[in-house]
Amino acid sequence: MDLLGFYPLFYVPEIGSAWLMGITGAIHIMASHTSVGAALLFAFLAHKAQKENRTDLYDYMKRYGMFLLIFSYVIGSITGPGIWYTATAASPRGISALIHNFVWVWATEWVFFVYEVLGVFALIYFIDKVDRKTHLKLTYTFAIASVGTLALIIGIISFMMWPGTEAYYATGSASDAFFGTNTFPHMFLRIGFMIMMSGIIGMIISSAMRKENKELSEELTQKMGWVSLLGGFVTVFFFMWYIDTLPANAHALLGMAKDSIILNRIILAILFSIYFLIAIAKPQWVTRTLAITMMFIIGIVGVWPGEKLRETMRKPWVAGQYVYSNQIIGRDVPGKEIKDETPLLAEKGLLKLNPWIPDRLRTITPENKLEVGKLLTRIACSNCHSLEKEGLYRPLMPLAGPMGEDGIRDYMKNVIGTGSSPYMPTIALPDEEYDAMAAYIASQAK
Amino acid sequence: MDATFINVMKDAAGVPFYPVVFQGLYVLTWALHAAFVLLALGSMGLSIYGSTQQKSDPYWKILTPHLIMTGKISVSVLIVLGVAPLLFTQVIYDSGWYVANTLSGAWVFIFIYALVIGYMMYYWYQYANKKGSSGNTLIGIISFAILVFCGVLMHNFAVEAISPTKWMDWYAPNGVVDNAGWNMHLDLLRLGFMVSLMIPVTGIFMQNYSRFLSTREDFEPKYLEFVKNIGTKMAVIGLLISAALFAVWMLKENLLLHPLSLATVVSVVILLVLAMRNKNSYVTTGMLVIVALFISGIRELIRYNIMSGIGYDLYGYPMNLEWETIIMFLLTFVVLGFTGIAFILTMAWKVGKTKGVYTATEGSAVSRLANASLTLFILWIVVYFGWGMVALFKNTL
Repeated sequence: MDLLGFYPLFYVPEIGSAWLMGITGAIHIMASHTSVGAALLFAFLAHKAQKENRTDLYDYMKRYGMFLLIFSYVIGSITGPGIWYTATAASPRGISALIHNFVWVWATEWVFFVYEVLGVFALIYFIDKVDRKTHLKLTYTFAIASVGTLALIIGIISFMMWPGTEAYYATGSASDAFFGTNTFPHMFLRIGFMIMMSGIIGMIISSAMRKENKELSEELTQKMGWVSLLGGFVTVFFFMWYIDTLPANAHALLGMAKDSIILNRIILAILFSIYFLIAIAKPQWVTRTLAITMMFIIGIVGVWPGEKLRETMRKPWVAGQYVYSNQIIGRDVPGKEIKDETPLLAEKGLLKLNPWIPDRLRTITPENKLEVGKLLTRIACSNCHSLEKEGLYRPLMPLAGPMGEDGIRDYMKNVIGTGSSPYMPTIALPDEEYDAMAAYIASQAK
Repeated sequence: MDATFINVMKDAAGVPFYPVVFQGLYVLTWALHAAFVLLALGSMGLSIYGSTQQKSDPYWKILTPHLIMTGKISVSVLIVLGVAPLLFTQVIYDSGWYVANTLSGAWVFIFIYALVIGYMMYYWYQYANKKGSSGNTLIGIISFAILVFCGVLMHNFAVEAISPTKWMDWYAPNGVVDNAGWNMHLDLLRLGFMVSLMIPVTGIFMQNYSRFLSTREDFEPKYLEFVKNIGTKMAVIGLLISAALFAVWMLKENLLLHPLSLATVVSVVILLVLAMRNKNSYVTTGMLVIVALFISGIRELIRYNIMSGIGYDLYGYPMNLEWETIIMFLLTFVVLGFTGIAFILTMAWKVGKTKGVYTATEGSAVSRLANASLTLFILWIVVYFGWGMVALFKNTL
C-alpha cells in the first residue's frame, strides 16, 4: 500500500495554527533580539566602566541585567523552544525538514545557549563579587556567544525562505543550505534591530533611575538614544539588501502589499527617529511611561506585521522551497534523494496516500462527500487560510464563495492543480477529491 | 497499525549521522535535563515550606532564599538543557514526537504560556519573599503548581509519543476526525516515579550545599549541620519511595529482571548507602549521575521496545552523512563548550568559596580559562565567517 509521510492535522478555528506560531514568534523576537543587543551593549558598557573607572555604570548594568533575566531569559528562552513546539504542531513536516538538515547546527547553537544561560547569571550576580578584569572578559565572551546564537539560527531561518542557490538541491549539504545569498543580509538586518532594541529597552531602565540619580539617568538615556539610532540605521540599510536577496515568489507577494508596507515602514522610521533624537537632545523628556509605550509600539506595529510579512513571503513553501505549507513535498532534492510527491498525489489522491484518513472516509459516497470535503480542505488549505466565514487568517470562504461550486472546482483543477499561482502550492488531486472539496467550500461559503 | 505506517513518517531527508549516536546523545542530555527539573521542583517545594518557617526559625530564614535562588537558576538551566533531548528525539523518533504534538496541539500552546507565567511568578515569589510580603507563600504555591502542571503536560507528550497503537483512535475516535488538539493521556505510575525523584535529588543537593559552605567562616557550623540533616533525611526517605515506585513501574512494564533495570536497582542501593553515610556528598552526586543515566536508559529501552515491536526500523533510518556540520558541532561542544563552561563554573566555585570579592590572579585557573574562552570564541566567529564566504563564493561565482 502506497502511503506518504503525513502527520495528523492540528486545526485552530478562526485564526489558524500559523497564527499561534506567529504570536509566539513575535514575542520571542522582541525578547531574543533584546538579549543579543544587550549582550553587545554590556560589552561596550563594561569596557567603558573599566577604562574610565565608572562604577555607576555597573549599577546600570545590574538593573538592566535583572530586567533582562525576566524579559529575555524567562520570556525569550521559553518562547524560543515555544516557536519550535507550535511550529511542530502547525507544520510538522516543515520542522522535520529543518531538523533533519540542520540538527548539528542546532546542537552547536545549544552549546552557545548553555554558555549564555550560565553566563548571564554569572554576569549579573558576580558584578560585585569578582574582579573587574575577569568580569570584563566574561562580558566579552557573553557578547560573542550571544551573537553566535544568531549566527547559527540565521542560516536555518533564511533556508526556510529559500536556500539562496541551486547548490543545496544537488549536494544536499547543510553547508550549502545554510550559507545562501539571503543569510548574511538577513543576519546584519537583525543585528541592527538587536542594537536598536537594546537601546529602546535601555531607555526604560535609564528613565526609571531618574529619582535616584538624575544626571546619570539623562546621560544614559542620551547614550541609549545614540545606540538606538545606530541600530535603526543599520536595520534600514540592510533591509534594502535583504529585500534584494529574496526569491521570485516572495517578490510577487511583496509586490501585492508593497504600498502599505512602505507606508508602515516610513511612518515607523520617522516616529522612532524623532523618539531617538528626543532622547539625545532632551533626555529629560523620556519618561518611563513613554519608554514602555515605545517598546510596545515597536512590538505591535513593527515586529508583528514584519513577522506576518516574512511568513507570507515564504508562501507557498515553509522549508527550503521543497516542503509546501500544506506539508506536501513539492520538488525533487536529488542530493538527499527526496522525491516530489505531487505526481503521486495527482494519480492516487490524498484519501489513499494520507495515512491519517479514517477507513470509512477513504472512499467518497454521497453520504460522506461533505465530510470528506471538509477534511481534505482542512488538510490542503488550512495552513494558509481560515475556513470560517469570519476567520481572521486569509479567510477562504469569502475568496472562493463567489465562484460557486463549479467555479471552485475549475479553479482548483486548472490553477492550483497546475501550480500556476506563484504563491499557492500545487495541489494536484483526482477529480473526485476536487469535487468533494468544491462541494464543501461552496456549502460553507453560502 | 503496521510497520509501513510508522516507517513512512521518517523524514525524507534521512538522518545526518548514525542513529545510535543520536540515541546516546538523547539518553545523556535527557538525564541532565531531568536532574535540573527535579532540583528545580524539589528546591522550590522545600522553599515553600521554608517560607512558612522562616519568621520563627533563623536557619530557615537563611536557607529559604537560597533554595528559591537554586530553583530559579535550575528552571533556566532545565529549559536550556531540555532543548538538546528535544532535538535528538525529533531526529530518530520523529513520528512519535510530531504525532504527539499534533494530537495535543492545544496543550502545546498552553504549555509554553503556562511555563512563561509560572516562571515569571517564581521571580515574583522571590521578590515577595525578599521583601517579607505576607502573600509570598501563596505566590510560591501557585507558581509551583503551574510548573508542576507544565511537567504533567510534558509527561503527556512523552506518553503519547510511545503509544503508536493508540494514535489513530485518539486522532479519529470511531472514525470521526478530531483536529482540536486536546488529547491528554497520562501514565500515573511513571509520572509518580519521576516526580518522586525530586525529593532525593534535592536532599543530595543540600548535602552538597552544606559541604561546600563548610569552608566559609561566615556560615555557622550548626546551621550547616541543620541543612545536612534535612538533606540526608530527604535523600534516604525519597530514595526509598522512588525505589518502591520504580519496582512497581518496572513490574508493569515487564522489565523488572532486565539487566538495565537490575543495574539501576543496584546503583540506587549504593546511592542510598552513600547518602545515608554522607562521608563525601560529591561522590554521592557522582553516583546520582549514574542513576540518572540508568533511568534515562530505561526510558529509552521502553520506547525502543515499543517502536521496534511494531516494526519501526530505527537503525535502518536512511542516512545522508553530514561531515561539515558534525565537525562543527563536535569541535564547538568539546573544545569551546568545555572550556567556556569550565571557566564559568570554576569562577562560580571560587566566588562561592570567597567572602568578599574574588580576584583571579594572573596565571590562576580562572584567568587562564577566561583567556582561553575569549580566544576560542573569537576564533569561532572568524571560522564561521570564513566558511560562510567560501561556501557562498563557491555557489555564486
